[in-house]
Amino acid sequence: MSFVAGCDVGSLTSKAVIMKNKKIIGSIIIKSKPRPKDSADAVMEAALAEAGISGGDIAYCIGTGYGRDRIDFVDEVVSEISCHGKGARWLLPTAQTVIDIGGQDCKTMKIDTDGNVSRFMTNDKCASGTGRFLEVMANVLGVSMEELGKLSKQSRSPVTLASTCTVWAQADVIKFINSGVPIEDIGAGINTAMAARVAILVNAVKPEGDIFMTGGVAKNVGVVATLEKLIGKRIKKARKADPQIAGAIGAALLSMERINGHGLRN
Amino acid sequence: MRPEIKEYNYDWLMGRALRTAANLPRGTKKEIGHTYQYIPYFKDIVKSLVDLGDPGFQTLDMLATYYENILSAREKGKKLCATTFCNSPVILYAMDIVPVTLEMLTTIGSLVWKRGMFDYMDFCVETGMPETSCSSQRGAQGALLSGLCEKIDFAICDTPGVCDTNANAFAFLTEYLNIPFFQLNYPSSIGDRRSQKYHVDDYKGMIAFAEAQSGNRLDYDRLAEVLAEVDKQDALIADLEDMLMLKPTPINPIYNMMLYGGRFCFSGHPQYTKLLESMVTSAKEKAITGVSGLKNGKENLRIYMSYIDHYTADLNFFHYLEERGIASVGCILSKNFRDNSPYADALAGSLYGIDTTSPDAMLDSLAQMNARLPMVRSIRGPYDKKGMWLEESLTFAKMYQADCVIYNGTPGCRNTWGMLKPYARDIEKHGYPCHIMNDDAFDDRVESWEATRERLDEFFNIRGLL
Repeated sequence: MSFVAGCDVGSLTSKAVIMKNKKIIGSIIIKSKPRPKDSADAVMEAALAEAGISGGDIAYCIGTGYGRDRIDFVDEVVSEISCHGKGARWLLPTAQTVIDIGGQDCKTMKIDTDGNVSRFMTNDKCASGTGRFLEVMANVLGVSMEELGKLSKQSRSPVTLASTCTVWAQADVIKFINSGVPIEDIGAGINTAMAARVAILVNAVKPEGDIFMTGGVAKNVGVVATLEKLIGKRIKKARKADPQIAGAIGAALLSMERINGHGLRN
Repeated sequence: MRPEIKEYNYDWLMGRALRTAANLPRGTKKEIGHTYQYIPYFKDIVKSLVDLGDPGFQTLDMLATYYENILSAREKGKKLCATTFCNSPVILYAMDIVPVTLEMLTTIGSLVWKRGMFDYMDFCVETGMPETSCSSQRGAQGALLSGLCEKIDFAICDTPGVCDTNANAFAFLTEYLNIPFFQLNYPSSIGDRRSQKYHVDDYKGMIAFAEAQSGNRLDYDRLAEVLAEVDKQDALIADLEDMLMLKPTPINPIYNMMLYGGRFCFSGHPQYTKLLESMVTSAKEKAITGVSGLKNGKENLRIYMSYIDHYTADLNFFHYLEERGIASVGCILSKNFRDNSPYADALAGSLYGIDTTSPDAMLDSLAQMNARLPMVRSIRGPYDKKGMWLEESLTFAKMYQADCVIYNGTPGCRNTWGMLKPYARDIEKHGYPCHIMNDDAFDDRVESWEATRERLDEFFNIRGLL
């Protein structure tokens, strides 16, 4: 059985996964560089090193993410939605509804038993409801993304934030900090604003079955808990791998399908 | 929408909350204290109204009755008609139809509900309405679409061309609920014979539609009674407008909201007359002694809100005006453009009168009144056309001695955003500092109240107004 790879060059982070026999033998997440090509080269080099193989060993590689068209070494590019659907189904075989919150967009999709996307919605216009929103807010608060997620549990009275504009929300956060509002209430307000934006998209696809979340924001416990409250359903956690690499996993799985003769591109 | 919200009938929830609040003035101190414990988020609003004395009690009673009418309509064999604040409920009352005015319901919900109408607004978006649609409808509309309200029988709106965002909300609502829908149209001018005739013909079509949907024939004797009540109300409104021109004005800023809120809910209904009488009595007492209607008794500044006020949770905007000693001389919603108003001469040709001498005269009066409801009158044509928004704003700013003009709306108000910058430029040219608020009057999530307040403060400070 050959090695296959998936390379997901996102706006905030780049991810690469190398698989053999549907098992991950190497996976890496790095912060994206200004040029997508540089990000792709760096993340793939690191993943190959982790797997202990060379680029020549890869039988097929699919690129995805916003920088996918700038990757030199891939055999094919596939949209993030298709890759996340595939990856989600591998991470949670019972998943029927997938929420993917990336650095610059947010997607909700329904998938079939093979991980193929049957319906999807994306955020329509701005950074709110995306990973960038949380990153900006965490920076303003002076906490890590992980700490930001945990603030919701400590809050007694979350603030209401402007949630349709990241810049204005940032101004709000600065104002709240200067007014002496407890950081946990501001953090909870940020997570709530984020979750509320995502909940609209989730409900719009009429979620069914097990719900699974991919992307880096899946690791933010505050957003996930608030989102669960808003949609009234549990969001299942990934146990097999980091949910942030779901897109790259999906790309690698699609690569495997290609070399097995399934779903060859036209 | 959060699952727990779906557990409660929205109309019932609002109706009970408002009736309990309306009963408070009759309660003992202990009862009031206990009730406040159970309404931690609505308490401040109730207190604000209770502090106003009788006009505040009347307002609470009126709002509670409005909801009770909706809740009891089916039982009484009446039909429910979804409509807009731009359409007068007078004809509906005359035909024994219960109006459900979406913007009023969103405003009430914003005041009563802990998180404003956010959940319902978001539900509306989930069903397919754009996020940038008008939030004044989106709140109540979300509740209606989610099936948490009394069933609506049909809808009437009169905003195509005037505010397409508003008209589209009704088109969406009626399509989603699969109910009949009638739209009144308006030409881009007002006061000329051709447009007057257009209004009457169009209005007759609307009456025929309402008759067919409700099964009730329009009774002209009943219509005469309702119009007589409107006439009485307009005279009281003229008294209040007279007092609004005094400096300092004895009219508290929140009176403006009570005035137009009452008109949108209960124009032609005796309960609104009672509220206006109470407001006039209370304001007159202050006018006689030359005291400002602001609670601290000192008026530092006079503003004219050239569009709408700000309504998010806790009545923050009105509290802010009180804190800063700012009197509001009204907004586009509070002016009724009646021919007996104190500004009648200044806006001659674009006002209406009431004539109950014959069925045709009554229909003409009604059509002309309806053509002068908010937005319909002022922004049906280009902003700088004679009799339209700019001329009207400058007239009011001058007559009421406003120190500045402030615009507030929602991101959905594309009818005004399209012309707002030149409008503001022209207002400035005439010597009035003009501030454009970038928030959403019904949704704090667009711009938090804290940011809105700071920007207002900055405007007042930089322009040397406060």
